Amino acid sequence: MKMEDMPLSGPDNTKLEALVNDIYSELVEDACLGLCFEVHRAVKQGYFFLDETDQESMKEFEIVDQPGVDIFGQVYNQWKNKECECPNCKRLIAASRFAPHLEKCLGMGRNSSRIANRRLASNNNTSKSESDQEDNDDLNDNDWSYGAEKRAKKRKSDKSQNSPRRSKTLKHKNGFSPFQYNYNAGINYEMLGPDEVRSFLTTQCGVISEHTKKMCTRSQRCPQHTDEQRMAVRVFLLGPSAPVLPEADSVAGPESFDIPDGQALMSRLQWEDSPEISPSDSASSKASEEKSGSPFPIKLRMDKEPISVSLTGTNHSDSRRPKKKKRPPLGLNSGGGIGSLSGGGGGGGGGGSQTNISLSTKKKKPKLTAPSISSIYDDLN
Amino acid sequence: MIMSKDYQLKASINQKLIEMGERERLKELLRAKLVESGWKDQLKAHCKDVVREKGLEHVTVEDLVTEVTPKGRALVPDNVKKELLQRIRAFLAQHTAL
Repeated sequence: MKMEDMPLSGPDNTKLEALVNDIYSELVEDACLGLCFEVHRAVKQGYFFLDETDQESMKEFEIVDQPGVDIFGQVYNQWKNKECECPNCKRLIAASRFAPHLEKCLGMGRNSSRIANRRLASNNNTSKSESDQEDNDDLNDNDWSYGAEKRAKKRKSDKSQNSPRRSKTLKHKNGFSPFQYNYNAGINYEMLGPDEVRSFLTTQCGVISEHTKKMCTRSQRCPQHTDEQRMAVRVFLLGPSAPVLPEADSVAGPESFDIPDGQALMSRLQWEDSPEISPSDSASSKASEEKSGSPFPIKLRMDKEPISVSLTGTNHSDSRRPKKKKRPPLGLNSGGGIGSLSGGGGGGGGGGSQTNISLSTKKKKPKLTAPSISSIYDDLN
Repeated sequence: MIMSKDYQLKASINQKLIEMGERERLKELLRAKLVESGWKDQLKAHCKDVVREKGLEHVTVEDLVTEVTPKGRALVPDNVKKELLQRIRAFLAQHTAL
């Protein structure tokens, strides 16, 4: 219907028609303006003439349609079999495993902290002495050890106590976090002074790794290195006269996972018969009285943290229960001895008391014997 | 001659168009038809000429508007124009008491 061709029926129609045209014009102008804005923006943003690139450039980015290659011409799994060197632990890791490895290695990422906490918890429960040993070389470990001992209350040996890797996870606390690898948990012997080296070597393995030139921070019994290696390191670092492997002195042996060691230790301390000592309460009280004068405990590496000893003791004030970790007076006495003879002789560094406890603990189930410790301190008080 | 009454009438009709959403619908319809008919590409080509003429760095919106709008108006195909006019008239017939 062509209304504009029809004769106007009246002034209103004209006006109406004019109105309609006006409205139409406005709409068309809107459309034109829209286009202008679009073009102007394209010009100013620089993509207006994009479809006019020269042939050469066009050929360069042509779509590729060959087998084994994507449309950009890149090979699909080019990096699948490559190995990358981890910047943290310097190991060569497969490319597809690199990201998870980094997560754990650097201690970041969602799972790594969870795993670390779990390991810490079980480590504290199972191989407490070893872990304490490791920590004592680091600063500010009192709080940490305290907390660890508190947690030790609920020890459940859900993991193998004899696993040599347990203690390594503790390094995570100090920022190393080699959950599975040992390399980072080493110390460069050049950084330590002679005294530090000596004290370090009395408690830890210390064998120098060939790759990293660092000393092994594991226990004296770490399975990665032999005793000959440890002796050699001591000779190398301290001179031929210095090295006395603490292992030789079973009393002072910082870590003994075996139960018999605890027994030997106790006998050395000249306490009453071992069987009597085993029960926490009576033994501890007897032992404490005897212990105060005994010089032995001093020599033991145990005089590192008497505080922690007592704490652990107090946790189980009434424990005769076999379920709880028993701490024969052995540990207690050493703690008591240490308290009275603070810093005398013995091992350098802190954390000795913990080893005591671990020794004695290992004798039986790895559980605390709180009552003995508390009673000792009562006596002292 | 512009009588205030007419002016008022126009204003009220416009207002009604907008309120009922008809204006927007008409606009979209027009745009779609113009693209369909190739009007937009034609005009864009013309824009390229204008831009090249004025220089890429210095072209302004006003330049484009003054160059493009008259041509745009002229280039609208007849059928598109007719359809639009038709719809506007229908709307007016429905919603005004004229």
